[in-house]
Amino acid sequence: MGAGWKIALGVGLSALAAGVRTPATLAALALATILYYLAARLTLADLWRDVRLFTFQAALVIPLYCLLHGVEQGLWPGVRISTQIVLFYIPGAVFLRTTRTADAMRGLRRVVPYRLSFLVFVSIRFVPVFFRELEEIMAAQRLRGARLLPRQQLDPRNWRDLFHCLLLPLIVRALKTADEVSRSAEARAFGLQRERTFLDTSKLAGEGEPEAGGEAGHGLQCPASPLPAASSSANLENL
Amino acid sequence: MTDNNERIYLWSRFTLREAVLLCFCATLIVLTRAGLRLHLHLPGHVMFFTMFFFLLARGCVPKVGSATLVGVITSLASVLLGMGSGGAMVPIKFLLPALVVEAVGLVAPAFVTSLLACAAVGALASVVRAGTNSGVEWLLGMDEGIMLHKALISAAMNGLWGGLGALAVPSIIRRLRKNGLIEQAAASA
Repeated sequence: MGAGWKIALGVGLSALAAGVRTPATLAALALATILYYLAARLTLADLWRDVRLFTFQAALVIPLYCLLHGVEQGLWPGVRISTQIVLFYIPGAVFLRTTRTADAMRGLRRVVPYRLSFLVFVSIRFVPVFFRELEEIMAAQRLRGARLLPRQQLDPRNWRDLFHCLLLPLIVRALKTADEVSRSAEARAFGLQRERTFLDTSKLAGEGEPEAGGEAGHGLQCPASPLPAASSSANLENL
Repeated sequence: MTDNNERIYLWSRFTLREAVLLCFCATLIVLTRAGLRLHLHLPGHVMFFTMFFFLLARGCVPKVGSATLVGVITSLASVLLGMGSGGAMVPIKFLLPALVVEAVGLVAPAFVTSLLACAAVGALASVVRAGTNSGVEWLLGMDEGIMLHKALISAAMNGLWGGLGALAVPSIIRRLRKNGLIEQAAASA
């Protein structure tokens, strides 16, 4: 099923979850939602992982209802609301679990302006880059005695180390990388046009290997990737 | 940080460098949500880093729209990466605190250097975010008294963590400015 259909179906099921009030309709909707979940090739174990956070909520809501309205009058509304909350969120979980990032990106590109979608994709591409940076900085700072272990972070007195020994160098690295990326992209005339331009290799057929900054689609000079190779090994051609 | 010759890239406001820097702030929010948890198992502690980076973004790029851009990118990136169980509520959960930061930035452009202001904004924005869950519960027809109880607990926890995370921002901004890594002027464009 396409991402668009999943969103439409999810919105419909969530809207129904907001509307049901009787036990029969709630049971029917719960059944339909579970069937949708299982039809998406997700397992009951996945379902438990998605709903377990809501069990804490139910453990709070149902006793509160019973406390305020008595067990006889408060039990059903408590169970109904707790179930409705779960049913409201499950379609979103199906979308998030079953939609590949590439498919979602393709869909996003159709509805979001390319300048904004470029930033979103850069943000995603750089998650592993900054994760590596984070690991390296953490290892180096721990060798210098910074208290950055998870158990050490349970003590708020060590949060100073977290910010000044880990996050500050990471931010400095982000500033430098932003500088490199933007210079590299601007050097390739990225963002010059209202629409994204691409290198049209078909026009280069028979003219030998395409050179950097060669003839591009719409007669513009535009590279395949606006990012410097040093910044990331990720190829942004498909952005 | 900015060069007068730089071309405006987005929203008639941000240069490409500023936009990329803000998108990295979004990356760091996503990264800290996924990989740098405090393992405290307390509700609302996700706001600790979220508010830190929202306010830091406002401090590094002191222009109207910077926090909103981080909110938009973070919400879209979170949806694309399949993070969170909020479904359709994920964008709202990120955009609302960003808009609070934005609104305060309009009134007091230099608030990111004040410890108290940062803590207050961090707490307020986190409380607003906690309100989105109450919105869903209201939509589902929850009893108002119970909704209020839950909202108070959730807002208190979120506000506490958001305020604590925001407390670190002024000193980081000062250090970045002192070393010439970001601009001194807190212009509100």
